[in-house]
Amino acid sequence: MTTNHVGVPKRARLPIGVGLILIAITIVYPVLYLATAAFRTKADYLANPFGLPSEWTFQNFIVLWNNYDLGNALRNSVVVVVIGLVLQLGVAMLAGYALARLDVPGARGINATFVSVMLVPSQVLIIPIYLLLSRIGLVGSLEGLILVYVATGLPFAVFFMTAAFAGVDQNVLEAARVDGAGFWRTLLSVASPMAAPGIATLAVLQFLGMWNELLFAYILLPDNDLRLLTPALAQIGGRFTSDQPLVSAGLIVTALFPMLLLAFASRYVMSGLAASFGR
Amino acid sequence: MTVSTGVSPLPASRGGTPPPRRGMSRWRRRERMIALAAVAPALILALGFMVYPVAYAIFISFHKTNGLRFEFVGLGNYTKLLTDPLLYKVFGTNLLFLVSVPIVIFVALVCSVLLYERIRGWKFYRVLFFVPNVLSTAVIGLMFKTLFAYSGPVNALVVAFGGEPVDFFAGAGTAIFVIVLALVWSGFGYQSLILLSGLSSINPEVFEAAVLDGAGWWRRLWSITLPNIRRVVVLVSILNVLYTFTSLFGFIFVMTAGGPGYDTTTLDYLIYTLAFSSSRLGEGSALAVMVFLFIGGLTLLQLRFFRSADE
Repeated sequence: MTTNHVGVPKRARLPIGVGLILIAITIVYPVLYLATAAFRTKADYLANPFGLPSEWTFQNFIVLWNNYDLGNALRNSVVVVVIGLVLQLGVAMLAGYALARLDVPGARGINATFVSVMLVPSQVLIIPIYLLLSRIGLVGSLEGLILVYVATGLPFAVFFMTAAFAGVDQNVLEAARVDGAGFWRTLLSVASPMAAPGIATLAVLQFLGMWNELLFAYILLPDNDLRLLTPALAQIGGRFTSDQPLVSAGLIVTALFPMLLLAFASRYVMSGLAASFGR
Repeated sequence: MTVSTGVSPLPASRGGTPPPRRGMSRWRRRERMIALAAVAPALILALGFMVYPVAYAIFISFHKTNGLRFEFVGLGNYTKLLTDPLLYKVFGTNLLFLVSVPIVIFVALVCSVLLYERIRGWKFYRVLFFVPNVLSTAVIGLMFKTLFAYSGPVNALVVAFGGEPVDFFAGAGTAIFVIVLALVWSGFGYQSLILLSGLSSINPEVFEAAVLDGAGWWRRLWSITLPNIRRVVVLVSILNVLYTFTSLFGFIFVMTAGGPGYDTTTLDYLIYTLAFSSSRLGEGSALAVMVFLFIGGLTLLQLRFFRSADE
């Protein structure tokens, strides 16, 4: 409220509210539309694309699970994202803490390296990474993809953690050190809890990045039984667009986790995406 | 307390000052080794999976290869691409997608100005406008593909108003129109958040003074609000231009697969097609390197423009 200016006169409040509601409808309506379509049969949907289902059915989800192995894709996605996140946050916290708080030899050069590779687009990396991984037999394995996700997200994650640890009160760290806390103890019991909001923000941000990634997941996991959720959905949508309720069901499953995250951790999502501005 | 100097960034003893006690320097060396060891995993991963691949991509781009055998062709891949009319067609398609930039910025501006008034519930709207930003481009692409399908809701409306159903993805123009819509839908929430932070940094006293001088809402918008966020708007434009050159893959992949023909193929999708549909990895790498140089150059150019406009 502090920056609010002079005032929105009462009569201006109505058009502003109406404007916001109109924009909100363009976001909410398509999402709700597809969410209800997911619970309809194809015949019911084609008879009247608008309106509510004449009867609600889980058939589309059951078909996705049984015939398109979406449950398996969901499990693969969870495995890759959880392991990838834990590894990436761990490695980034170590590096960020050292760069922000310790005397790292060659710190300038190391920082410059991270910053300069941060903007390399994945289209440039995909061909060499595909060849490198296939040479060491990691194409078509979840491990390979996890490694790629951890590594390609690291430059930003290190940059972000460096900033987060730089914001921790130096005096507290000194006090811990005087009390005889070593490297691990200072990092884990003192510095990390103080940087917790930053760590949570980074976790949310990198979760979204990995969950939604398409190119690496599609190329590096060519086997159908190792598909992740997003590429699995992309394939279903590419092949079966005539069955719109089925595709809608897949869309809802894929979009559910990011939306829940936004609903329950909107603070971290928004501050994280604001910080990644210009990445 | 002498111990605590270990965390200061530069040892004071490096110059002409007397060397520290032996124990101290060994301790310091140990400290620096710990610090280096902490950075090492991140550095090794970044070097191995980002720096080395970029160098390797350049190497591949000078070879004809299917991934197993490499045959040096010098600049052959580059000249082959640059003499192929397809590259210019695809580049032109990328330029067409730039129409999304002013649209996104206009919608985002409207949004941010409305949010800035901070009427009741504005925080809720802010989160709501953010929904598309947490979704994958594959999800958004398929949403629009479903909505604009031949038997989908948009066509149902067209028919209800007495029109003929449109096969949106059969023609280049209509397909690009739908993709641009998807781009705008996916991007404006984030952009309006950035613009909103620009708006919030305007000194409220300026507004108060303007009101005292009798300036109305529109007048304040044109004379104060918009001029004051000019810089942020320029920055957002740069980002969006870069975005149209690097981030269309997901949309194209699920919506049109580059078709009909090559009509909706963009540069990033062409890299994928060359490398993974036709196994022309050398040409794919050459194109990737060129796109990388192009957007790098574009960024520098725009930043320079941005800086000179700043002075």
